[in-house]
Amino acid sequence: MNPVLEIDALSVTFCGKQAVHAVDRVSFSLGGGEVLALVGETGCGKSVIAHAVMGLLPGEAQVSGRIVFKGRDLLALSERERSAMRGKDCAIVFQDPSRALNPVHRIGRQIAEPVLIHGAGSREEAHRRAAALLERMGLSPPGNYLPLYPCQSSGGMNQRFLIAASTILDPSLVIADEPTKGLDPGRVHEVEDELVRLTGGGRTALLLITHDLAVARRIADRIAVMYAGEIVELAENDAFFDRPSHPYSRGLLQSLPEHGFVPIPGSSPSPVSPPPGCRFQARCRDGKAVCGGQHPDLVSAADGRMVRCWQCR
Amino acid sequence: MSLSADRLARAYRNGFLPGSRRTVFRDLSLTIRPGETFGLMGNSGAGKSTLGRVIAGLEPPTAGRVCFHGRDTALMNRSEYRAFRRSVQVMFQDPSAAFNPKKTIGTSYMEVLDLIGTPRPAQKAVIAGILESVGLSGELLGRYPHQISGGQSQRLALGRILLLDPEYIVLDEPTSALDVSVQAQILHLLKELQSERGIGYLFISHDEAVVRFMASRVGRIEDGRLVIEGEA
Repeated sequence: MNPVLEIDALSVTFCGKQAVHAVDRVSFSLGGGEVLALVGETGCGKSVIAHAVMGLLPGEAQVSGRIVFKGRDLLALSERERSAMRGKDCAIVFQDPSRALNPVHRIGRQIAEPVLIHGAGSREEAHRRAAALLERMGLSPPGNYLPLYPCQSSGGMNQRFLIAASTILDPSLVIADEPTKGLDPGRVHEVEDELVRLTGGGRTALLLITHDLAVARRIADRIAVMYAGEIVELAENDAFFDRPSHPYSRGLLQSLPEHGFVPIPGSSPSPVSPPPGCRFQARCRDGKAVCGGQHPDLVSAADGRMVRCWQCR
Repeated sequence: MSLSADRLARAYRNGFLPGSRRTVFRDLSLTIRPGETFGLMGNSGAGKSTLGRVIAGLEPPTAGRVCFHGRDTALMNRSEYRAFRRSVQVMFQDPSAAFNPKKTIGTSYMEVLDLIGTPRPAQKAVIAGILESVGLSGELLGRYPHQISGGQSQRLALGRILLLDPEYIVLDEPTSALDVSVQAQILHLLKELQSERGIGYLFISHDEAVVRFMASRVGRIEDGRLVIEGEA
């Protein structure tokens, strides 16, 4: 089956006073019904990839490589063509629903809005679809929710409304950018269920961007770990959490509560001038001479995972 | 030498109607001792942060007393109250909002030392010592808040609090905005500082695993009441 999204050697550089290399030659593909989690710390380039796919990067961003969505290279399209796809074929769910929703409009209107913008139906039709969608999400009767304003419901509910608004046109690709950030634990599960439901039909692909490894573990099929703009490990969910390979992946899992919050020493390198060798070398316990000198490639290991490390070969 | 809340209540006016009030919590008592961490849990909106603010003296209670060293803070004279406010500090969740964006970190630090009357020539050494204990290099002092990462600014915020040599710190979701790996670093740093300096913490978080890792005693605010574990 053809992948829904195929990213090939995507690099993004922000050209300000100093060039910031936010994303460096990232490649992965994503099929229908699949969930890929991009994990890594703040500033590693996760959200930049999301914005590159959606075409939401600011003007000073230089993008190279290829982003192929359902057979079309998005980077070759005009802004007009991309705008026609945005919200219809590919949609993004932003973090912080209280800021992503418009506080002065009712929920119903905001969920129905994409239908009107993309000319997919009349006003009545749009509202009927919004009501039907809420019903399918288990929020019934929808008449109780449609007239609400964002300030009248909780963060978790608002996040579900936002997912509804992003997916009302049944896009093939949904990007969720930290969808569970700042929610109470009980609410996190509701949002997770919503995301799983999206991909249930086997048609929609989900790119989940998160730094919450517990969420990634529960709903992702594959995990891609990013560090300093690069993918350092890409593996199946079970294989990753049972046997993380890259020293950074292992460090990340060690800093989780169930492993006693063991921190990784030091901090990430500057994206302005990344070190020439392995970017994790300065913080790595297993570092050897070769690590500082030569930059490792992302290579396949025996069990099908991809790892970027000299010591894991 | 403890910090305690005695039958504390806090209510807010609800809307513009006179007499209509929303009670955040009531009849709430707890004690924090030096060198000890009290972990406070509860859902969003349960009143955790409000309790932290009341205990630190940032908001007055509607009823009940906050006692510092056994003295009711509402009855303190001016100089006692100033000492209380200096000894009980608060660290907030959002590290990017902790510093004035128009000033360098160094200037923000020096302002604190000016306030407590440390002479200018001695300030440099004091700041260097504090930065060392929070694990940062002096190079950061020349930077502006937007030029530092979340983990660094949380360390810097902690450092600025330590300039005042507090006895208690109310930590209001200190790691909720941070990544897991940085969270682990900050939690360990907080534990280290506590054992070196004997500071008492009121550690507020909705993350149960984090609270259990940090605290020796744990309580949860439910429906405006504090339920302390093991003291049913």
